Formats: sequence, structure tokens, C-alpha cells
Amino acid sequence: MSDALLVSNIALWIAVLALAAVVVALVRQIGVLHERIRPAGALALASAVQVGAAAPVVAATDLAGAAHAVGAPAGDGRDTLLFFLSPSCPVCKALLPAVSALAGTESRRLRVLLASDGPRGEHEAFVAREGLGYPYLLSTQLGVAYGVGKLPWAVLIDASGVVRAQGLVNTREHLESLFEARALGVASIQEWAARGRKGAA
Amino acid sequence: MLDPALELLLRGALALLFASTALHKARDLAGFRAALDGYALLPERLIGIAAVALAAAEAGLAAALVAPASLGARSPALVAIAALLGLYAAAIGVNLARGRRDIDCGCTGPAARQPLSGWLLARNALLAGLSLACVGGAFPRPLVWIDAITVAGGLALGVATWIAVHGLLAHAPALARLREGT
Repeated sequence: MSDALLVSNIALWIAVLALAAVVVALVRQIGVLHERIRPAGALALASAVQVGAAAPVVAATDLAGAAHAVGAPAGDGRDTLLFFLSPSCPVCKALLPAVSALAGTESRRLRVLLASDGPRGEHEAFVAREGLGYPYLLSTQLGVAYGVGKLPWAVLIDASGVVRAQGLVNTREHLESLFEARALGVASIQEWAARGRKGAA
Repeated sequence: MLDPALELLLRGALALLFASTALHKARDLAGFRAALDGYALLPERLIGIAAVALAAAEAGLAAALVAPASLGARSPALVAIAALLGLYAAAIGVNLARGRRDIDCGCTGPAARQPLSGWLLARNALLAGLSLACVGGAFPRPLVWIDAITVAGGLALGVATWIAVHGLLAHAPALARLREGT
């Protein structure tokens, strides 16, 4: 009888330790999964404008004829999201609902400016079709000043006219990452992730 | 009074735990200083001394636990460990009450940053309880070979549970972010 208990006890120890090893392995795998699905950031490519530097001030007129001094300090204390798009860019179109949602929920803190260039007629048709209620700037100079090479490109400028985040935004998550980056005080989510990895090493 | 195998297991586990935390702190003293600073309980000029003192205290207590019983250092060390755990719990509790949950616990060394949570208080209470349970020592019983399995297996299980629980606590913020996102 006591032999049977001994054997059973040893067998149980082996089983418990095997299960404990499995639990540790699972916890580590969860860690790897969290690492993989951490927020993917807007891709910060080399740009003419540095995050943390003053935004270039460019005078531009929107489709409605109102003049805007883009990049100038905002009198109402709101941040500016400058969203560069083109009617011929499907990703830009797909992102417009996300931009609208953001502008709606953050309207007290955020002003949205859409920016593009090219023939006016095309853009007017685009605005009417998409029902865009934001100032729509047409200016080649604006894109050049902000070093926009790829679309859709977004720049977050704070109320004092300083660039807080920018990047190529292909998804809603990318767009949100600009605000995350701003809140975290880093130039891009990539920088934050790299910092985190360095800290963990 | 505990069974000698149980007493040996608990004492060994506590010694292993404090030896490993002391080693973590000694290897990354700057990190531990930063964690202490994060608790915002000590004036800045004391932080360097406190970091070294805590690491040394943990190493000393771990050594005292495995010192020969004839030195009589075990029981005071077990009480001191319970007191140290209580001190840590108080520091964590104060910062939880202040709402500073996001500071690094400083518990598990630099490998895993871990925010503060009520779980850490429960963990410290459990460890302090186990430590105090060993103070009375063990009643005499000859140790046989099966006790070796109990002690070795129990130590391995303790290490695995420790790693798993701290892994889960370290993942908690990432999980909370995911939940918010949905």
C-alpha cells in the first residue's frame, strides 16, 4: 500500500512539474503575442519637417475660399491634424471615416485640415461625393513645405505651431498612433517601441 | 513547528527568492535606484544608499536562511524577511493609494517592467506568512529519500509559479490596452 502511494506521489510530482513548465511556456508565448500585436505605428519616413520643430507656416486657400495660415499658432488652443490626400488614392478614401470619427470625438481639441493639390474641379467633385465637412486646402506649396512624398500622409501640429507627430498613415491604427506618439512624447511609435525593447534588454 | 521537509522547502524557497532578487538589484543597481525613485518615498540623496542597503539586506537574509542552525540566525532572519516584505508592501500600498500604478515595481529586475497592483500586496502577505510559519523551526523526524523529491520538486514548482505569476502581472497592462481597444 505505501509502495503504491510512493509511486503515485512521484508520478504526481512529475506531472505537476511538467504542467508548471507548460504554464511558464504559455506565459512566455503570451508575452511574444503581446509584443507582436502592439500598436503598429504610422511609418515615419524621412521628411522635410522634424517632429518637435516649428511647423512651416504656409498660406493656403480652401475650396470655399477661406484663407488659412497652416502651421501658425492656433488662437483657439486646438491642435491641427493636417491630412494630405488625393481623390485618386483609395487608401485615403478608406481612411476618411476614421478622420471624421476623430474630428467628431476630438472636436474640442482638434481641427482637421485636408490638403491636396491639382485641378480644382476634380477635388470639388470628390468633396461633394464624400460629403467632407472640413476645410479642403489646395496648395502644391503646402505638400512641398511639409515634405510629403507618399499619401495618405498626416501631420499633427499642436496649438503653438510645433509638429508633434507625422507619418504615412495606411490604417486607422496608424492615424491613432500619431496621437499616441504625441501623448507618449516620442517622434513615432517606432521610436517608442525601440526604446521599450532597449529598456527590456 | 512544521514538518522538517516542509520547513526545509519553505526556507530554501525564501533563500532562493531573496538571493535572486538581491542579484537582480546588484546587477542593475541603476535600474533599482530608478525604481526606488519612482516610488517617491525617499529624499533623493538617500536613494543611492537605500538601494545598496536593500540589496545587501536581501543577500544577507538569504545567506542567513541557509546558515547552519547552530548559529541561531534563521529565526531572526525569517522575522526580518516578513518585516522587509511588509515594508515593501507598505511602499506599494502608499503608491497604490496615491494612484501611481504605472511606476515600475522593481520586483523582478530589469527584465520585466511591472506596474503596481493589489496582487503584489497579496503576494507579499502570502510570503510573509510563509516566512513566519517557519520561525518555530521543525519537529524532529529523520529525513528520508522521498523528502528529497518533495523539496526539490517543491522548489522547482515554486520557481515556475513565481515566473508565471510575474509574467502574467507584467502582461496585465498590455492586456488592459487590448480590452480598451475593443
